[in-house]
Amino acid sequence: MALPNKVLPGFSAALYCQPTSSPTPLTTSALSTVASVAAIAVSGNLLPVEAIPAFGQDDAVASFAIAGSRQSDKIPVQAAPTSMTITAAWNPADSQLLLMREDAKSGVIDRTFVISATDGTNIVYYAFNGRVGEFKIDSAPGAEAKCIFSVHPRGNQYGWSNNA
Amino acid sequence: MMKVAEAIKELTSTYRSLEEVARGLQVDANEVASALAKAHPESEEFTVLKVLASLNPVAPKAAPQAESND
Repeated sequence: MALPNKVLPGFSAALYCQPTSSPTPLTTSALSTVASVAAIAVSGNLLPVEAIPAFGQDDAVASFAIAGSRQSDKIPVQAAPTSMTITAAWNPADSQLLLMREDAKSGVIDRTFVISATDGTNIVYYAFNGRVGEFKIDSAPGAEAKCIFSVHPRGNQYGWSNNA
Repeated sequence: MMKVAEAIKELTSTYRSLEEVARGLQVDANEVASALAKAHPESEEFTVLKVLASLNPVAPKAAPQAESND
């Protein structure tokens, strides 16, 4: 089967995270291997997020200017995976959200996250290791309570794979 | 020269960039190509062998030179 050759519709992506409170994150090679990544992308590991924020790599340049020269240089460097701020409906008993809360409390737990994008047939996976750096609960009375957390990926620790 | 099996072990256990680590590993290109041909496409070994193969391409065989009758 070939990869989907079309513009993917919105809301076809899902976010998963490794279970357990002290996970062993995937190695760099495993992050690019569909068999290892697909094992994490199962319904039990689904994070109940409202929408998947932009994911991939940041634009990374170092800008240099030398006194006296007319133009500065923008020198591309290795792009870091982009940080993601995620909003989810707050269910105080959801096991995956509780993991995010505990990760944010610790700040140093490395965990593998997987985003799957699908057209219904084939799936493209983006997997990365990251730490949770924020966890807030917004209980404004006009809407359901939400929790907002940020995942900051570790440098170099990401990979793309697909099931085609 | 490092054995391909050792290189695979090193690459499948690292958390650093695969290209960066693979650049520092001296392996035989023919051995890599043969291991890649045998590896399962969905395995981690296949993933790292592809990186090794891209950095260690098999050199094309030189055409046999015509014998001279000098």
